[in-house]
Amino acid sequence: MTNTNTNGDFSRLIAEHRAALPMSESLSSHAYVSEGMAPHAPLEVHGTTVIAMKFKGGVLNVGDRRATAANAIMYDRADKIIPLDDHTLVAIAGAYGRAIEVTRYLKHAFKYYLRSQLQPMSLDGKLQEISRALAGNLPNAMSGIGLFIPVLSAYDPDMDTGRIFFYDASGARFETQEFAAAGSGSERIRGVFEYLIKTKGPFSEQPLEEVLQDGLRLLEIAADLDSATGGYEKILPTARAVDAGGVREVSEETLRNLIKKMNQAK
Amino acid sequence: MLTPYDFQENISQRAQYIEQRLREGSPVIGISFTDGLLLFSLKRRGRKVYEIYDQLMFSAIGNQSDIETMRLAAIDFTHKEGYARSPDDVTIQRVVGSALSPALKKGFGDAMTTPFVMRSIFAELGPQPERDLFYVLNYDGEFFQQERFAVVGGSYQAEDSAIKSLEDAYGKKVPTFEKSLPLAIIAWGIAREAAVGEGLAGVSEERARQRVREEVESASLEVGVLERNTTKESRFRLVPHETLEKYLQHL
Repeated sequence: MTNTNTNGDFSRLIAEHRAALPMSESLSSHAYVSEGMAPHAPLEVHGTTVIAMKFKGGVLNVGDRRATAANAIMYDRADKIIPLDDHTLVAIAGAYGRAIEVTRYLKHAFKYYLRSQLQPMSLDGKLQEISRALAGNLPNAMSGIGLFIPVLSAYDPDMDTGRIFFYDASGARFETQEFAAAGSGSERIRGVFEYLIKTKGPFSEQPLEEVLQDGLRLLEIAADLDSATGGYEKILPTARAVDAGGVREVSEETLRNLIKKMNQAK
Repeated sequence: MLTPYDFQENISQRAQYIEQRLREGSPVIGISFTDGLLLFSLKRRGRKVYEIYDQLMFSAIGNQSDIETMRLAAIDFTHKEGYARSPDDVTIQRVVGSALSPALKKGFGDAMTTPFVMRSIFAELGPQPERDLFYVLNYDGEFFQQERFAVVGGSYQAEDSAIKSLEDAYGKKVPTFEKSLPLAIIAWGIAREAAVGEGLAGVSEERARQRVREEVESASLEVGVLERNTTKESRFRLVPHETLEKYLQHL
């Protein structure tokens, strides 16, 4: 029985076994991109809007389902809100393939740590692991392929509150107080968040349903202003929440009823 | 130089040494129920039932550090495989049959190493109870598959007694969690009594209950469950102490 003591570090486990790390993948495998093709199109699957908003006791994530390549709509059922474990959600904007690969890596890294060390990885440890994955992905991002930006939402049991973090492409991490958004539509709706907070008060003091309604409105505005963002009329967006009870999906029925109610009020 | 005679003697001495040391171990009972799969044991100190992978659980009797080595080897293999391919490719057959058993066998046959003192049980959750699997892995690398329930105990005879009681009690219909836990408690008592008690000629159910009542004074129950129908990322949970207390009151 050969044991390599990794102390729960999944990247060491797979490095020692020469399995491919998502963040250390050689750029040469993408060499065809630089040979005559514009680095951003049509390989980039980029535009989207994902939103993380606090509510009383947790964080809500809402994301549209559209995946685009240049101005073509490639897929209208992409899931961009992904549970990393039962207490952590990640919302992704940017290159879908790289993002999915990195979330797969992160899921395994968190599980591996929990199961081998018999204690869950701390929130700070998880945030650090994401920074590492993003820093490793930087060469891809710089070459115009594989840039993605995650927004992380977690329930912090020590503080009994939801917490939101966003990252830049190099892995720098920032915590926000009330909300975060990423994707091509996010910049366009930034002012709406500020307006809502100024007029209604902080999201973190409102119940989930109220925040969900605002989240859907924000998504609708983003879809109106950004061609790469799908709205909620044709295909329902993804909505997941994380609080003391863990990660849960907002059911289609809840979303449908809420949208109906909002449409009637128009 | 080793002669064939020495080889045989060495192997049987090793086996004898290991089996002697396993006798005192707290048995582990595995039962498949409607909504999941459980591994049951009594522990004096430390953990006894462990999560290995999304659908895999593990427990063992034997030397604590050997159990730890085996546990980490299983976790390393499953996570590496699950990441390189898919979690669906991580099966109990691959973990026990290909990854662990040959390594154990090699260690056991090597006269220059200390042998693993351990008999372990792996459990795999299926989409339906009929597809749940148990693998019992012996210290010499031998393993066999069981369905519905499985036992590791301090002696082979103890395991047989407990298996027999489960065969009689399990019935044709897959039990619920509430029904399967009492079965596990009795089977544990039988296996324990048969391994360390005095009466070798079969253990009565009453004697088994008595044994559990006595031992629970200085030990606590541990039950690990893999849930079949859940939307959670993790299917594994340790059943809380308060829930288990209930079952002991009616013992």
